[in-house]
Amino acid sequence: MMQRPAWWMLIPAALGLLVFVVVPFVCSFGMSFTDLALGSPHPVRWVGFQQYQRLAADPSVARALTNNLIFAVVITPLQTALALFLACVLNRPGWRLGGFYRSLFFAPVVFPMSLVAVIWRYLYAPGASGAFNQVLNALSLGHWQPRDFLHDPQLALPSLMLLSIWQGVGLQMVLLLAGLQQIPADLYEAAALDGSSPLLRFRFVTLPMLRNTLIFTALMTTILAFRVFDQVQILTHGGPAGATTTLMFELVRSAFERLQMGRACALTVVFVIIVVVLTGVQRFLLRQKSL
Amino acid sequence: MRTLLLATFLTGCAHQAGPPGLQIWAHEGRESERQVLTAQVERFQHEHSGPPLHLTFLPEGNYNSQVQAAALAQKLPDVLEFDGPLLYRYVWQGCLQPLETQLKQSTLDNLLPSIQKQGSFRGHLYSLGAFDSGLGLYGRKSLIRQAGARLPKSPDEAWTAAEFTQLLENLAREDTDGQVLDLKLNYQGEWFTYAFSPALASAGTDLSHLESPAASQVLNTIQGWNEQGRVDANVDDAAFLTGRVALSWVGHWEYPRYASRWGDDLCLLPLPNFGHGTRSGQGSWNWAVTTACQPSGRAVEFLEFLLQDEQVLEMSDANGAVPATRSAIARSKLYGANGPLRLFSNQLLQGWTAPRPRTPAYPLMTSVFQQTMQDVLHGAPVDQVLGQAAAEIRQDDLDNQGYR
Amino acid sequence: MRDGLVAALACVYLLPIATLFGGSLAQDGLGNYGSVLQRIDFLTLLCNSLVISGFTVGIGTLINSMAGYALARTTFPGRQAALAVVLLCMVIPFEAVAVPLFYAVSREGLRDTLSMQILPFVANGFSIYMFYTFYLDFPRELEEAARLDGAGPWQIYSRVALPNSKPALATNAVITLLSSWSAYLWPLLVTAGPQARPLSLAIATFLATPPLHWGQIFAFGVLMVTPVLLLFLRLQRHFQPNALTSGIK
Repeated sequence: MMQRPAWWMLIPAALGLLVFVVVPFVCSFGMSFTDLALGSPHPVRWVGFQQYQRLAADPSVARALTNNLIFAVVITPLQTALALFLACVLNRPGWRLGGFYRSLFFAPVVFPMSLVAVIWRYLYAPGASGAFNQVLNALSLGHWQPRDFLHDPQLALPSLMLLSIWQGVGLQMVLLLAGLQQIPADLYEAAALDGSSPLLRFRFVTLPMLRNTLIFTALMTTILAFRVFDQVQILTHGGPAGATTTLMFELVRSAFERLQMGRACALTVVFVIIVVVLTGVQRFLLRQKSL
Repeated sequence: MRTLLLATFLTGCAHQAGPPGLQIWAHEGRESERQVLTAQVERFQHEHSGPPLHLTFLPEGNYNSQVQAAALAQKLPDVLEFDGPLLYRYVWQGCLQPLETQLKQSTLDNLLPSIQKQGSFRGHLYSLGAFDSGLGLYGRKSLIRQAGARLPKSPDEAWTAAEFTQLLENLAREDTDGQVLDLKLNYQGEWFTYAFSPALASAGTDLSHLESPAASQVLNTIQGWNEQGRVDANVDDAAFLTGRVALSWVGHWEYPRYASRWGDDLCLLPLPNFGHGTRSGQGSWNWAVTTACQPSGRAVEFLEFLLQDEQVLEMSDANGAVPATRSAIARSKLYGANGPLRLFSNQLLQGWTAPRPRTPAYPLMTSVFQQTMQDVLHGAPVDQVLGQAAAEIRQDDLDNQGYR
Repeated sequence: MRDGLVAALACVYLLPIATLFGGSLAQDGLGNYGSVLQRIDFLTLLCNSLVISGFTVGIGTLINSMAGYALARTTFPGRQAALAVVLLCMVIPFEAVAVPLFYAVSREGLRDTLSMQILPFVANGFSIYMFYTFYLDFPRELEEAARLDGAGPWQIYSRVALPNSKPALATNAVITLLSSWSAYLWPLLVTAGPQARPLSLAIATFLATPPLHWGQIFAFGVLMVTPVLLLFLRLQRHFQPNALTSGIK
């Protein structure tokens, strides 16, 4: 263990984080106790906890929070499982198809979310001629009623979740793949020599060695589930009737559409607190070990 | 017209010295619009020698955010273009100077009454546009006649809401999927306020009184059309073009496409009358002079130049919008006395249009109302949604101390 | 059977991608691309995006991996606190700091620059944490060997750890590149003219004025993702099993 600190290596990054993340966040925190409205000629007033009280009483905010939770609870395990499956399948050195598949599954990650949203808007077109409706109709052998996915109160959120998973699996898959490739081959050889089956090898070699990477990717997915914004903004604008609103969407809308900066800053603080608590809980439950 | 996503957060509209001359900002619209404006600036410089003009185009999508950012950085231009209803907030923040004392009386009198109304606030005229917009119902004459309805020839002959609903039913009988009306549901943002707030005005109410029975009635009616399956989702933006629907509720910009497809079968009709006479929409990009522009003589000269008939008509040809002055309208092929789009100009001239709310609270109001319309068009309970919207607007008004 | 499942998934995955590429040829065929190139100053926007993303990735990868390494390897009082701060920064979304940052940048007259689109994103909590995780699992034998040879911390890092971190470096580069390439909100707030504007904002031009021309929209999408796709395909080799695992024996 290095005792003599290489701690100075922390400095450039620390400086960057301080100036561009910590200080602005502290400003946001301060502004959350005011009634700052962007561009207003009235002087800014200190209002204490008023913004927070309003947030607590606001049904849209409650709805947004619920939606974010649903996102996180559904997407994290689904996406992680899918990514793990794909990573394991693709971890065959020298498999030519593997390279192709890896590129294919990673490709969506390369697409900016704004573009993904536009493509899926086209795919989710309502009416019998929409791509999704056609596919589902074919799969159900003609029993499918065409639906307006993005405007159906029940289907809107799942529709957004589907495209988020489509876009996100590739990244997780690649990270897990990198983790898998760190596992020394001789561990597997030793296990095989002991006569264990692939499933046992998976449980006792792969999973433990992947533990840290798995935790990291699961954590990342959870945090991202709380940051969902682009697809809501572009596809549903929080509708129908708040079915797809998220915390970030409420925040951006408050700040830039409705110019209520004090409220937006309060939302920021609430958001950060929630995610800190959640990740704290997650980390506690899945304690990360260093070698 | 796109997104009032970011409205002003100007905190001080002072002007930082740029290169000498007049700084002008305009939105980057269609190619033809840009070319015309660039040519007009050059022409002005040629005809009126003096300090040079510097024209900058900013992309339309985030145009308003640019204006706010510039104001924050105290770098607003001398002459500014913006989407009409944002005027009042800019004025409230002290960024713009009054123009009515600086313009010639003849210019003022020549302006469309709608433009005067839109550009005036708290007793002064702050902005004016070289063009206005037109909103109405495009229809297929053959299909409407077949459905047994009369064809309104002028705004006072508009169908009543009840007649209109009945017409939709009649049309649906002959239609394969029962969807006969295009409300441009595929559009985003400001469209919903622009297109449907006139219906509120037609019922005698407005965005400040969303809890009135009139507002509830209007929205229930519109929701009814959708629930009955009469409205096409228009994902490909071609419902009317491909003949899937018989009616299209949209503005002047669709005329070229529709006319070239349907020729003589195309007719332009006023929007339905919800009780107090038909009302249509108005408002488009406007020009104003910022307070930082001192002396403002040349800037005002430039605006006067833009309002000359030749310039107005050239711009109208480029973007298809309604010319802003009476004299130009008279000479316009599309909007003149016998032009195919004279309904639009008549609506604007004769006062059949309602401006969007002239208040600094507009960005919030429109954000709230867009949400309301979207929700209503997808089945949400009307009264509940209206109640929420009204509450938000009230709260915002309180928070800003009545926007005094 | 596993392979069958993967193949089925691949088909599902292909659908939107095929829509994008196929759709770019709809209506006007290759003419869509011509129209797109006419409507926006593609080369300038592309160069801006390349410069911004290039520097963000380059500088960012370096300083974030340094920080991650230091956190993983060094004990110093406050290490846990530093880790907590890093985690906190991971959690704070950019949207939360966008407005105060925007105020500051505007007031200083630093709008419309490339540097202001690079600097705020160079230090990144996610990246630091990722490198931290990676270096935690990094076998120490090589570093021990170097230390016994008398190398100082920086040398150990730059000569031993860094060269053998290719999977993590490549992954981090890709993640950073992607988020930088598709950055939308920040460039929107801080750029005005096309001099400093990146490619990602141009999609607004096509979505703004109706009628929507899907052919052009998809053509633009293709033009926008292709450079990054190609770059990633080139970086692929770094995801192969590396010499590290065999070097331990």
